[in-house]
Amino acid sequence: MLEHTQLTDKELNDELLRDILTMPKWWLPAVLFLAAIVITGYSAFGYMVFNGLGVTGLNRPVFWGFFIANFVFWIGISHAGIMISAILRLTQAEWRRPITRAAEVMTLFSLAAALHTPLFHVGRPWRVFYWIFPYDFSRGIWPNVKSPFVWDPSAVGTYLIASTLFVIVCLIPDLAILRDRAKNKITKFIYAQLCLGFRGTTRQWKLQIVAGILLSALVLPIFVSVHTVVSWDFAVLIGTEGWRSTIFGPYFIIGAVHSGVSAVAMLMALSVWIYGLQNYIKPDHFDAIARLLIVVATTWFFFFFLEWVWAMFTLESPEIALRELQVGPWPWGPLFLIFVITSFVIPVPLWMFRRFRRSAAIMFFTTILVNIGMWLERFLIVIPSLMRRSHLTFDWGSYSPSLIEILIVTETFAFVALGMLLFAKAFPLVPIFDMKEGMRNRHLIKVGRRVIPATIREGLPHHYYNKEHH
Amino acid sequence: MATRTFDDKYPGQPFVQTDNSLESRKELSDKFLGIYNDTGSQRFWQISVIFGVLFGIGLLGYFWKIFATKDPGDFGYYAALFSFLMTTSAGAPMVAIGPRIANAHWRRSISRVAEIWTLIGTVNLIVFLPLLWVMPSLDNGRRSLVFYWEAKGDWWFPFLIKFSGHIWTTVSIITLIVLGIVLLWVSVMPDLALIRDNAPDGWRKKWASRLSRGWIGSSWQWNWQRHRMGTLGALYFMMLVLTHFFISTEFLMVHVPGWIDSLYPITHAHNALQGGVATVMLTMFVVSRIGPYRHYISLDQFHGLGKLLLALSLLWFWFWFCSFMIFWYGKKPSEQAILKLFVHGPYFPVFLAEFFFVFFIPWWTMVWNPVRRSVWGPAIIAISVLIGTFLDRVRMYVSTWDVAGISADKLAANGGQFSDEYPRNMMLNMTILDDPAFDRIMIIKNFEGLPVPTSAVLPTAIDGVIILGFVSGAVFLYMMASRLIPVINIWEQKELLLYNAEVQFHRAKVKVMGKPR
Amino acid sequence: MAKRSVLGLYIEEDSAADALDHLRDAGFEDHEYEILTGTPYPEGTFGEAEPQHHLYRWPIFGALTGFTISLFYTSITQAAYPLLTGGKPVLAIPAMLVILYELTMLGAVIFTIIGIIFESRLPRFFMGAYSEKITEGYIGVTVTTDEDRTDKAEEALKKAGIDGEIIRGWE
Repeated sequence: MLEHTQLTDKELNDELLRDILTMPKWWLPAVLFLAAIVITGYSAFGYMVFNGLGVTGLNRPVFWGFFIANFVFWIGISHAGIMISAILRLTQAEWRRPITRAAEVMTLFSLAAALHTPLFHVGRPWRVFYWIFPYDFSRGIWPNVKSPFVWDPSAVGTYLIASTLFVIVCLIPDLAILRDRAKNKITKFIYAQLCLGFRGTTRQWKLQIVAGILLSALVLPIFVSVHTVVSWDFAVLIGTEGWRSTIFGPYFIIGAVHSGVSAVAMLMALSVWIYGLQNYIKPDHFDAIARLLIVVATTWFFFFFLEWVWAMFTLESPEIALRELQVGPWPWGPLFLIFVITSFVIPVPLWMFRRFRRSAAIMFFTTILVNIGMWLERFLIVIPSLMRRSHLTFDWGSYSPSLIEILIVTETFAFVALGMLLFAKAFPLVPIFDMKEGMRNRHLIKVGRRVIPATIREGLPHHYYNKEHH
Repeated sequence: MATRTFDDKYPGQPFVQTDNSLESRKELSDKFLGIYNDTGSQRFWQISVIFGVLFGIGLLGYFWKIFATKDPGDFGYYAALFSFLMTTSAGAPMVAIGPRIANAHWRRSISRVAEIWTLIGTVNLIVFLPLLWVMPSLDNGRRSLVFYWEAKGDWWFPFLIKFSGHIWTTVSIITLIVLGIVLLWVSVMPDLALIRDNAPDGWRKKWASRLSRGWIGSSWQWNWQRHRMGTLGALYFMMLVLTHFFISTEFLMVHVPGWIDSLYPITHAHNALQGGVATVMLTMFVVSRIGPYRHYISLDQFHGLGKLLLALSLLWFWFWFCSFMIFWYGKKPSEQAILKLFVHGPYFPVFLAEFFFVFFIPWWTMVWNPVRRSVWGPAIIAISVLIGTFLDRVRMYVSTWDVAGISADKLAANGGQFSDEYPRNMMLNMTILDDPAFDRIMIIKNFEGLPVPTSAVLPTAIDGVIILGFVSGAVFLYMMASRLIPVINIWEQKELLLYNAEVQFHRAKVKVMGKPR
Repeated sequence: MAKRSVLGLYIEEDSAADALDHLRDAGFEDHEYEILTGTPYPEGTFGEAEPQHHLYRWPIFGALTGFTISLFYTSITQAAYPLLTGGKPVLAIPAMLVILYELTMLGAVIFTIIGIIFESRLPRFFMGAYSEKITEGYIGVTVTTDEDRTDKAEEALKKAGIDGEIIRGWE
């Protein structure tokens, strides 16, 4: 990437810690506003606990509504962090540097947000422990590990713990920078405790680098399993048309990557606008992520196509009736149309043009569209299928969300935004030490009149090559 | 070599000098031409004669087979061979295409090794064509991706309807082969120009100048070539996935009643990527460690490709398990029958062996650094993956075509007609039971009358001859092609000289890599 | 005898590398001095010895632990409450596999994280000789040695042309 602003270590520290060490004017009002939405959402949940699940729009046969669709959506978003940081780390893509941390942190908060809705959905969240933990010695009732509802917490829990630890380990060197820069004694003390006394010895850096690669390699298989297991919440059931399909695991994964990478692009635009990171996130970065998105979106569309083809191939009348329901009558038909148009038909052709790929505004707009579409996709998977859950027609019913559900779903969005803002107030959203390494490794190659950006590549340790020559 | 100079325009960013001198470029081509002009060792010709003879015998077996029988049940191993060649040789060029699009430098010296495999598509086309005759048309009521209806009108319209599956598949396979060969051609042009200008007189020089089509290396031509390779590569990949979609459905899934696996086309295409990477891995091992090109292909290539192979092996398990889990969990009778057919039924030993060769061995060896970072390790794993891929093709195709042989032709001969209005398996249940031809088939009432073979079909001697012959044929054609087409991509290596430097960074020697795009 | 540490700061990478040479000449061992930087450098930039670590053992051990725990969890809970559901056997391996896999991976990740911290010699309770300038781009060379050898170390550090004064600290 030729677009590059070379900065010294001191300039990097000053710029990237500015909003942590000082208080921007917009920060408090924004936090208060988001906190108000979150509190409203929690209050709605309190109301729901007091009055029971009857206050939601859930009813026979649609027992899964906004909550579960929203759960799948946020799990999907959470896949971006690992997708971006692990895959780009393993492939040594230089453009990953400024965006890995933000993406990983988004993983954490969206996973936490994802956990909100199914926990609220069960009505009495504390009882979830019965499903998961083997502790009921007195009555001898144990979790049913054959149920996807036990797989799901184990997968999501593993992912949450693993990605949290991943973020923390990669944060340690930056915490050391904060320790050295903090002016206030108390904050200095806190950062000093958090960074565990990191000094930047050769050994510590080597382990940081090995850790980045090793943890990426360990977290990637977890990432793949999580959404697969989430998809099995649906797909292992027989008798619900539209859910039982072998492609569901990979289809959910690629859908998650589609919405998640879009969310990262959105986050990049936001961080340029809010935190003034234009020195780090350049049009080239948008270009790179947009090209990645073209591949992801096209693959996703192919999977979507396959899912439909094989639903039709069964030639079973209930399956076909369901598909007609999804694309036909109000409101499902129009929603389906919006879903396809926003998640594929508008964005992908726009991304074909270099000029649009390089524009933060266009990328922001298109990726918002993608996520609107992908939210609707989950909604259209959950609800129409359940409307036909019962084969006796007198049980057919529809679903419309109640105010309580809308408030809680809105709360999850505010929760993620609030979490990101709070995190960015305490910790740098751009990995400073990683940026410094990129600056230090940066070289230029002159070929005739052309200047080509280059970087130091560390291949295999030398002794592997020596071994081969002997 | 390294200079630490800064430009006012680029403060704080040192400039690096790459070794792009005329001498080093010339050294690269001279060394290559030296090996190339040497007409091949005696051992090369001995080996090619063996493969050529085997190919000849295979062709005899091929004609024997296609004239002797038309029963789909007898074509299981034959179809498996077709699919195996499709999986390995057509998947191999992706090793050049993928990293080229992602701009990974390590691909440069092995991209040609991968691309030459596109030529093997022609051998595979020979294998493919008879399958069109063996596969029943849609008018006996068998399922297809294409919805069948009674077509009236001119002769061509009913023909189109009846054979739409055949037509789609043929068109996509031929397009894939053509795309691949054109891609190879576009990529090889600058190297052919090198041969045209520098090789001694002879048939090679003549053919190289014909095929290089007046390549003079103008910037327009280079620009044209780069864009064409990008476009052709992307199209090739899309066509590859599409072709596997058609093959895995029209030649596989539609023949087994109740087998509805929306993931399988992806699995099939994934196997092609895995098989392709293994093929290239093995080829580059042979070319560099047995053949003369050791200088060009180093540990970096084995390491880069080895990581890919490990990732693809893990993905193999994931795809397989995603399908398996759904079928296993639901306990739907039809899906139980499918599992019995493909996993724990008569083909269980094949499945078990495949599981080890294609997933367990690669995974359990390649996670260890010393194996992954060696030359022998990945090469041996590649052989394991190729054996596993072949077993997978045997498991899927032989069992499927066995069922197809039972259900399609014999049912039609029985006067049975499938109809889209009834699930086909019900029809099977009604008609098959009375037919003495189905002794070997256990119809389990609980399985909704799905045919589950009780014993595996074993290959005949002819099958063995054909498989051995055509795999040898593929290798033979590759060896012959390597006489004219440079196995090492010279121009991409020369290009690398521009972007690659060993630099003294204080007390360490480091590699500096530039990315122009 | 009490250990003390001294630290010299350098602006140029080459001066820090020279300092290491001087230290070696003065008879200091590899384990007595360390380079402190604000960012990772390519291996061997300062001519330092490559640090050895055993991080790769940690995930294996963690995976085994996670696998064992999950094996107990999935099999004993089922055996203790043998309820046949959906026609699956009491110990249904494919269903157990999901949880076995997740907890194995979880064990591997947790142990890797512990391993990273442990192998990095963290947490470190006393900073010894340290300067905040290191996170600003200065390169520090710190020597931790017996009290009576610190003078020799300081001399070697100064010879390479340090920036500012020697910083001293207790270990």
